[in-house]
Amino acid sequence: MTTTAQEFLRRAAEKSADIVHRQIIRKNMDTYEEAVAQSRGRFQNWQSARERCQAIKRDAVEHLDHYLERFEAAVQARGGKVFWAETGEQARQYVLDLAAKHNVRTITKSKSMVAEEIHLTPALEEKGIAVFETDLGEFIVQLRNEPPYHIVTPAMHLTRAQIAELFKEKLGGIDTDDPVELVAAARVALRRAFFSAEMGITGANFLVADLGLVAITTNEGNADLGVTLPKIHVVITGIEKIIPRLQDLALFWPMLAGSGTGQPITVYNTLVGGPRGAGECAGPEEFHVILLDNGRTDLLADPEQREVLHCIRCGACLNACPVYRNIGGHTYNTTYSGPIGSVLTPHLRGLNQFQHLSYASSLCGACAEVCPVKIDLHHHLLENRRNAVNSADRPVSERFAFKMWKWAMGGAGRFAFAGAAGKLALRTLYALGMQGTALDPLGAWTKFRAAPPLPGKSFRAQWKEQNGGR
Amino acid sequence: MAAVENSGRAAILTRIRTALKTPAKTHDAHGNGAAAARVDIFAPVGDPLERFRRECAGNKTELIVTPSFDASVAAASAILAEMHAGEIFVQDAPRLRGAAVQFGAGRSVRWSCDGGPLEATDVCVTLAELVVAQTGSVLISSDCGGRGATVVAPVHIVLAEMEQLVPELETALAQAYGPASRNSYLSLITGSSRTADIEKILVMGAHGPKRLIVILAEG
Repeated sequence: MTTTAQEFLRRAAEKSADIVHRQIIRKNMDTYEEAVAQSRGRFQNWQSARERCQAIKRDAVEHLDHYLERFEAAVQARGGKVFWAETGEQARQYVLDLAAKHNVRTITKSKSMVAEEIHLTPALEEKGIAVFETDLGEFIVQLRNEPPYHIVTPAMHLTRAQIAELFKEKLGGIDTDDPVELVAAARVALRRAFFSAEMGITGANFLVADLGLVAITTNEGNADLGVTLPKIHVVITGIEKIIPRLQDLALFWPMLAGSGTGQPITVYNTLVGGPRGAGECAGPEEFHVILLDNGRTDLLADPEQREVLHCIRCGACLNACPVYRNIGGHTYNTTYSGPIGSVLTPHLRGLNQFQHLSYASSLCGACAEVCPVKIDLHHHLLENRRNAVNSADRPVSERFAFKMWKWAMGGAGRFAFAGAAGKLALRTLYALGMQGTALDPLGAWTKFRAAPPLPGKSFRAQWKEQNGGR
Repeated sequence: MAAVENSGRAAILTRIRTALKTPAKTHDAHGNGAAAARVDIFAPVGDPLERFRRECAGNKTELIVTPSFDASVAAASAILAEMHAGEIFVQDAPRLRGAAVQFGAGRSVRWSCDGGPLEATDVCVTLAELVVAQTGSVLISSDCGGRGATVVAPVHIVLAEMEQLVPELETALAQAYGPASRNSYLSLITGSSRTADIEKILVMGAHGPKRLIVILAEG
């Protein structure tokens, strides 16, 4: 087992037993589920809505080259620049060069999972640039020096008392646990940043191919400030965020909101497509879009799992997942957590190191059931398990056990023999008092539980006796 | 930087094209989403004004319906009169230039053509591109006082007219960006700024306005 996997198991065991964590997650999920149920009611037919979303994303991904070029041309026509980054390193370097060229000292950032994926903020901070996360949840976890806990709700794991304590320590002059006052304090701190920043970085929820527009969704309005006040706006996004037409958003915006937070539609659904144009009275002088590959074309080349690129990062599968709810977002120790993270991470960061995530699932399928673009998440976890077994190193004991199993299943006589031999071996082990030890093949079960009594006669023997062998 | 740009572009596009030569395999037998007719998805909007009212109530937009644009200006002035006399930011449109005498009683008006709103701006007054009944939203573009202007002040007042009310969001998006449009910014705003990042407790006025007021003229 890799150290990553061992660390995962250790943290998972610790978190599942954390009562405070369980309570706060339960509270969040109860609120979320109630809202989601209501938002589903706004669709006349939620199932056909998902099918429509799936079809649109499939069209987008199956013609990715065409739509990306169309998007690029439209952005360029408005005076924006498009940079294609093969790796996270190239994307980071582009932002660093741009910041150096314009002598940028302060950056405001709205929520971006891709920026997390390529570790953009640490790279900028290393150059002495102050980076302010402006989404409240992101701002909170940044102050705690923590990665986001959840794709949509980064500070879901914190109580308001913890946040009050944090603000008291880090912001100065604030001593309250009233959410209204806490939000006001963050607003004041971040307004200063907005009005002094030279660069605003945002992610993208969708890239609209036909008109070359970047769609950014927030409830707070932080992205609107970030694309307006600083003189340079940089969008960092994955190539898979493309959708063909502006009108597609009439479905995707309500779907994203309904699955992400249970709102009918998010408050600010903003579209930007370039720098401040001729005759416009506000906006940045420069507009850059970084289209990131970073392993996505490998996923595209996998016909079985290509549809994983349809993901709109709504976070619904995290919320639905019984494993995520118990072990929490940080235990995954990956940028993308929950079922989508377990499917995606082995592709982005190596199957050998992250194959354990394929087993962080009960295969109950709750994730696939809530996915607004109908990604078959639990089947992809099974495929990752199969791929891991075929390509990566598995323990000798496991390979031996499966060889034996395959041999035994190859004939009735062999099966009977293996059953009898197994029973004899277990009887001997248990007679020697080795139940639940490392030598016990059922050890994982019998370590904490009594072994069921072994029957005197096998099912086959009993059948023969009672039915005369028929 | 140009050389790097080109090399990444060609490499990524080549990888995409190579990958797409193999068709996708899917588990589901129901990849027939294209057949799921759009009309199935949302129930059609009956009475647009009635729907808009209901959605505004749901998303906490303050809606005032008036008989005429002049009455809307009077309604906006009445709201402004209740607030303390700070600077207001107004979209530089001829109709609003005409109305400014009423707004401006005892306060300074900053016109959008003179640059973005100041951090201390109290109220922002704009027109809208369209108003959407289905979602209770206003569609703003960079023509409406410049991008983002609507997010800086704690109160945003939108003056709109009945003929701008579109029943469905899809129609609104189709109309919003005509072939002649070169706007670099559009925003579909549905209610005022909010967050629920602290224990899922709803707090209004996160970064943007605490109040969004739509004044809709019927005449």
